Amino acid sequence: MDVPQGSSIISPQTFPYMVSAFTTLVGLGLIMEVLRGRLGTPEGDEPGAPFMGANFKTMAIIATAIALHVILLEIAGYVIAATVCFFGVAYGFGSRKYLKDLGISLVFALIVYFSFTKGLNINLPSGFFEGVFGNG
Amino acid sequence: MGNSFAMLMDGFQTAFTPTNLMFGLLGTFLGTLVGVLPGIGPALAIGLLLPVCLTVNPTSALIMFAAIYYGAMYGGSTTSILLNTPGESGSVITALEGNKMAKAGRAGAALATAAIGSFVAGFIATLLLAFGAPWMADVALTIQPAGYLSLIILAFATVGTLLGSSRIRGLVALSVGLVIGLIGADLQSGALRLTFGNMNAIDGIETVTVIVAIFALGEALYLASRHTLVRTEVLEIKGKAWMTRADFRRSWKPWLRGTAIGFPLGVIPAGGSEVPTFISYGVEKALSKNKDEFGKGAIEGVAGPEAANNANAAGVLVPMLALGLPTSATAAVVLVAFQSFNIQPGPMLFQTSPEVVWGLIASLFIGNALLLVLNLPLIRFWVLLLKIPTHYLYAGITTFALLGAYALNNSTFDLQVALAVGFIGYLFRRFGVPVTPLIIGVILGPLAELQFKRALQISQGDWNILIAGGFPKIIYGILLLVIIGPLVWNFKKKFAVNK
Repeated sequence: MDVPQGSSIISPQTFPYMVSAFTTLVGLGLIMEVLRGRLGTPEGDEPGAPFMGANFKTMAIIATAIALHVILLEIAGYVIAATVCFFGVAYGFGSRKYLKDLGISLVFALIVYFSFTKGLNINLPSGFFEGVFGNG
Repeated sequence: MGNSFAMLMDGFQTAFTPTNLMFGLLGTFLGTLVGVLPGIGPALAIGLLLPVCLTVNPTSALIMFAAIYYGAMYGGSTTSILLNTPGESGSVITALEGNKMAKAGRAGAALATAAIGSFVAGFIATLLLAFGAPWMADVALTIQPAGYLSLIILAFATVGTLLGSSRIRGLVALSVGLVIGLIGADLQSGALRLTFGNMNAIDGIETVTVIVAIFALGEALYLASRHTLVRTEVLEIKGKAWMTRADFRRSWKPWLRGTAIGFPLGVIPAGGSEVPTFISYGVEKALSKNKDEFGKGAIEGVAGPEAANNANAAGVLVPMLALGLPTSATAAVVLVAFQSFNIQPGPMLFQTSPEVVWGLIASLFIGNALLLVLNLPLIRFWVLLLKIPTHYLYAGITTFALLGAYALNNSTFDLQVALAVGFIGYLFRRFGVPVTPLIIGVILGPLAELQFKRALQISQGDWNILIAGGFPKIIYGILLLVIIGPLVWNFKKKFAVNK
């Protein structure tokens, strides 16, 4: 880290060192606790409830939907990014009515887009819609 | 005292303007909504609305946020009673007796005692807040940086060790929060810390992004990772949401006792809104003449904890306003909201922004009354919301959370941060790590460093200043009690069992 010279009595490194010492300490404590067999119970489960493995497939779908939103937002515009994300999360949560889901996703995205850009004057990337609706 | 009263009357004048009343009403409505809906709580709701509200007058926006805070407490009990899935952590205990009452066809009485109890507790506790917070601020004006630092460390210890299933996990959450709080340019020297050459990180990580991501995205990822999504049945409300004379007789004492337990435990941070509800439940069970009814739907078991929950919410606002120390996730977001309007909660708040803070306190009284009116007759409307399919609910929450994270700075960097924090949130939930200490760490970490540096600048680098004087010594003494007390207690229990 570059430390500007003579800026103050206390170096900008002092506090981070204290934080890292604390982090190391509680990290070691956590390792001890796990080694002693006290694994965490997922929140909302009773301690000692039968272990449920994680379903990484549905989780991956949700994560992809979020990631697609991040990527698409400034390339394709808010409406498309939000539609994809909404549809993806609904799919991940087990909905299989594709047409209905797509319709609801699009309506949701359009309502949010217009209430934000026209109603609240908060700019959102317009993407493909730039030509269609003017510069939101 | 007299001065506070006059200021409060001025506050009512501020709160009773049509615009502010409208924002208060909107807040109570939104608050009840997020309280009723699973998966979205007051902290997340305020975080999402913050970017939208930056253009609004600060007093109106803060009145709305405070109304959301109170409203969520009311809404949470509805879900607990009718669905047996608490909308927020303070309502976990309510589900115990409340859901049993609903199953026995007494949903109306359970909802009524929860709502009226919340009103009574909210009224008394807001009164205590109105007179207690200015007093605390006056006392706090004399606190030196070293003393302030000791208070922050005490808040770290109580929030970190008293929440969740294991102490070490709470502290782990706190340390992650402290590290996130370090990211960005050091305020005094400008030195870049933990930015790894990323220009976007120089201004640090937005607290609101962290809160929104950890609650909304972490929750969505976690729920998706569970195999089955259990659909729970919404119980019918038979008859009116009202209570009989006998119900009243059994409820009024638990309401008052709940208030007496909830408020102080909010002021002195004792670890989250669920602790006072547990204590209140225990007290009511011990004092009740109808002990056999507990576990089968005793009205005292709903009345006490619900009152404790609401009084606790008001209590938490005392250190938040008077010291600038938030001790719950929601109080932390409200603090960030103040800061985004360039208003700094703390000892000076009552002098620098009296119209904002007194308008806020007055609007809490109004909001509390509005909530009672809004909740009981409209209960059937709120119940309808519980029928929204889970997949649309979480799709909406996720998409809206991403919008909130983006709209703050119009930057995709914030969205990348949100995704990363969402994964941390997932891991926390999966392994039973509480998230509130993380949020407190992000917010109070930089403040702790500031006070630490100020103290050492005063003393020209002599570290002894950190424990000089009476005030820090008392606070560190309390800290030792907080840490060692439970250890001794556990040891004694083990010893007793072994004998």
